[in-house]
Amino acid sequence: MTVVDTTPPPRLPVRDRTAAAERAWGGLSPMLTRLAAERASGVLVRELGTLYLSEGRVVHAESPLAPGLDTLLTAHGTLTAEAWRDAVSRADERSGAAHLLLAGGHLAEGALQLCHLGALYDAAYFALAPSSAPGRFRYGVTHRLGPVLPVPVAALERETLRRRDLLRRIWPDPRADSAPLARTRTTAAPKLTARQQALLERIDGTRTAAELARELGRQAFHTLADVRRLASAGLVAPRPPEATTGPVATDDGPAATDEGRAATDDGPTTADERPAAEGTGPAVSGAGPPPGITERIACTTDPHITLLKRLRDALEAL
Amino acid sequence: MPGIDECLLEAMRLPGARGAALVDWTSGLALGTVGEAPGGDHETTAAEAAELARLAAEHGAFAADDPDGERPPVEDLIVSNRDSYHLLRFVETTFDSSVFLHLWLTRAEGNLALARIRLGEMAERLVLG
Repeated sequence: MTVVDTTPPPRLPVRDRTAAAERAWGGLSPMLTRLAAERASGVLVRELGTLYLSEGRVVHAESPLAPGLDTLLTAHGTLTAEAWRDAVSRADERSGAAHLLLAGGHLAEGALQLCHLGALYDAAYFALAPSSAPGRFRYGVTHRLGPVLPVPVAALERETLRRRDLLRRIWPDPRADSAPLARTRTTAAPKLTARQQALLERIDGTRTAAELARELGRQAFHTLADVRRLASAGLVAPRPPEATTGPVATDDGPAATDEGRAATDDGPTTADERPAAEGTGPAVSGAGPPPGITERIACTTDPHITLLKRLRDALEAL
Repeated sequence: MPGIDECLLEAMRLPGARGAALVDWTSGLALGTVGEAPGGDHETTAAEAAELARLAAEHGAFAADDPDGERPPVEDLIVSNRDSYHLLRFVETTFDSSVFLHLWLTRAEGNLALARIRLGEMAERLVLG
């Protein structure tokens, strides 16, 4: 047998993806990158949250989707609500509420820094989410809390991207982040941690992950991670929009507290926009069977169908 | 009352300390770092250590007998290799959190027993003042 040696075909040129990405990288928010470069101080208001800057670094972040520092500190009795209100009302230009809380001996410095950093990264995750509306910056505005530990903009953006990736790796479907959550039946439920169990027990088909986080006094991102783990285990699914309009409207009546109502108000608006803007998750509705069947399948709790749906979602996300 | 940075600097005064970090184990975020990191990158080390910490904290095999859901079920984790020790100490806070202190010690100079006791004290002082 003769073996004919042919020269191997030339290797096709490959575009260097990392270099291209770096060249095109304008940050999660080009405006924020520019403000950091000019060492600006003030407040950046974006669609899903607010960032307070001092000399180009982020000193505080807030989002309607993440529990504030006050909620995190008072929910488990670390701080009384009176102590917080008192510090915020007495805060002025010279000494912020954080300084007053420390000076009054209400809180250890390490505990405040720890909780504040957690709340800052948590709210910034939502504030830096893709949005359709432009951000606005007002120079010179400061937060009543005063400085605790400033975070560089670049570190915050890196962490936000890493967190998006982390959630996507746990479970690729982002709908559970913003939609009201419902429990589903599964054939083989894994053993849950105490934290996940407490979260699962509160899932009743009306509340979103953000509302549950506020209720439990936990960081919203931590709750999202747990929700996606529960979704990946087949225990939780986002309620389809058409089914939620009825029950949510009735449940939101006299029983809801003021805080709960405020939270539901911004819940659904973002629920519709975020998955579409983010574009990371698979598009589920649309293709295939007529709407009647799609709707029925979307609402089912049959373990076999939910298993098939999870398999399909995972394949689509590959 | 020490803050995060003071706490980490204190950990670095232990014999044989090469690096220390305060890490959130749910997200893998390094809330504070000091000194060196294995491989030179604190952020990667934090994410990897967080994964290990999460496995230890979430698996019933390592939990104490009275799992009440609020306190970290595990106190600390020790990983040793040919040239160093890694000590991970879970920090108990009165608010909801998931953080641990990570201390990296050289094996030749490090004293694991001493480091374990001191790191426990530091974790307590960090949140209680």
